[in-house]
Amino acid sequence: MNIQFKKGVLEICVLSVLAQKECYGYELVGEISKRIDISEGTIYPLLRRLKDEGLVTTYLQESGGGPPRKYYRLTASGQEKERELRDEWMQFATSVNAILAEVKNGTD
Amino acid sequence: MAQTEQDYLGVLRSGLDGKMPKEEIDDILSDYVEHFRIGKAEGRTEEELYHALGAPEDVTREIKATYMVSRAEQTRSCSNIWHAIMATLGLGLFNLVFVLVPFIILAVLVAVVFVVGCLFAVLGPVSFIIALLQILGIPFISFWLWPVAGVFFAIGITSLGLLLVISDMYLAHFFYHLGIRYLKWNIRVIKGTEASI
Repeated sequence: MNIQFKKGVLEICVLSVLAQKECYGYELVGEISKRIDISEGTIYPLLRRLKDEGLVTTYLQESGGGPPRKYYRLTASGQEKERELRDEWMQFATSVNAILAEVKNGTD
Repeated sequence: MAQTEQDYLGVLRSGLDGKMPKEEIDDILSDYVEHFRIGKAEGRTEEELYHALGAPEDVTREIKATYMVSRAEQTRSCSNIWHAIMATLGLGLFNLVFVLVPFIILAVLVAVVFVVGCLFAVLGPVSFIIALLQILGIPFISFWLWPVAGVFFAIGITSLGLLLVISDMYLAHFFYHLGIRYLKWNIRVIKGTEASI
């Protein structure tokens, strides 16, 4: 996929994963990178920005005996933003798909 | 080149050192320390993890840009907005055209309006004095055909000059605000190098 395009979409992906479950950073990175080829390191600056914007909060939680992990959770405004971006994306994707389908039918 | 956890963290630290408070750098690094720790616990090597994370330079560029822009937003100053713009240029060559050029155009516009405003404001008193001398009949000056018009012109041009300078301040504030919003959007959308997103 076009690299320029992916960065903007990453935000929706992160919010959407967090809407399904609260994750620690490594887990979240894994959820996304198993489907999209990304530089995993860029997720953390994105998470910081989402935190600064008040869309996510963090908390520390012990897990599996090791040191505590930093978990990420959507705030109320994060949930709202997630729904908003999801709707926009869905509409956009539907329109693009419709155009692509038409063009394809036209050339057949 | 070795690609260990220490190398990765080293690049981040040296890239951010002096650019932002130490506690903040430590906090940023702690995310990556945790990432390596969990990854290694799951049996991945440091090199694998390094490779999957991508170039640490891209991360530092993005963090710096975000930090500088939010600082410029909190404390308005020419120096802060300049640093924010410079940091954003690091995100891609693309930004030379889409950040630096518009910034220079707007900055020149603001400066020109300011200079013209000041000139007008100064021109007023000068013209006033000349007109006054002429009215008083000092013989060697005959700048104004009708000296009284010169007095009105003086008042008019000074008012216009002051108005320009005041409007220019509002204009500068407006551009600043707009610029910050644009830079934030830019960071969200513009990729780093080709290798990363």
